[in-house]
Amino acid sequence: MKTIAVLLGILCRAGVGSVFIYASLDKLSHPDGFAQAVYHYRMVPMTLLHPFALLLPMVELVLGIALILGWARRGAALLGGTLSLVFIVALSIALARGLDISCGCFHTDGGHQVGMSLLVRDAVLLLACLPPLILERCGPEMDSIFRRK
Amino acid sequence: MGARGITPPLIRRDCPSALRQAGLLLAVSLLAASTLWFVRGERLPLRADPTVYELEVPVPLVEPARALALYDEGDRLFVDTRPGAVDEIVPGSFVIRAASFEDDLWITGEYIDPEDPVLLYGSGDLASVVLVADLLLERGFEDVMILRGGLNAWRTAGGPTAEPLREAGEAP
Repeated sequence: MKTIAVLLGILCRAGVGSVFIYASLDKLSHPDGFAQAVYHYRMVPMTLLHPFALLLPMVELVLGIALILGWARRGAALLGGTLSLVFIVALSIALARGLDISCGCFHTDGGHQVGMSLLVRDAVLLLACLPPLILERCGPEMDSIFRRK
Repeated sequence: MGARGITPPLIRRDCPSALRQAGLLLAVSLLAASTLWFVRGERLPLRADPTVYELEVPVPLVEPARALALYDEGDRLFVDTRPGAVDEIVPGSFVIRAASFEDDLWITGEYIDPEDPVLLYGSGDLASVVLVADLLLERGFEDVMILRGGLNAWRTAGGPTAEPLREAGEAP
């Protein structure tokens, strides 16, 4: 049972970490494009638009790296889960408003249109954050290496 | 000897430590994002300009560095759209303003065709330059671009400027 749990934890860490790192790269390269994508949701106040567009991709990158390395793993999973939940809420509101916009999830130029499939994808991401958050052991981790020393 | 027999639980219920770690990661992200913003050449301003987002810009926005390259290539006509009298223009540019669009277009008509690639610039405020872009598109101009940041950004990027040779609307 514990072996299966550890394997699941490793799989989720690698999967969620890779997704967040990949999602951050284009946004970090093109903050103006990402700010435009965020603006289209019409949920972030204008004064916070650029700080948000600059910070969010870096949070994604840092939590993705932390999950894969196993550094502050539970905190990274908590952040990842919270972000996934925020994305689900934002997508739901955009769908409810009938906005025909690009999601801005992975690419700032074009990308996926907001739709139900993206909600499902973010729900899967949210669920995948749970094992690294709640499991005591989750495969090889930087934290445990330092603890041993 | 005593600790060896105890197996750790499968699930951990230590919420405060996860919150502390999340806070640490947020602090690291904030520091990294600030550093990246600081060292970046072309920074996104921290305060968003509402006109950039609220206007539907119908044509591509060009960064000053790219505009300088286009200017050096010499294939694109530069058009000043700033309202009112101007004391400085991009050398060789024409003047077409939204308020006197018909007259200005008639005057410059000898030099500008709808087939010509055009780059519009203003004072940095997108509202008036977008208006001219819209009007040019309506008149059949197909290749229209706008200089992001206007003449100020052009000057900052090292672009040349000159006094206008003739009255507004006339070709230099």
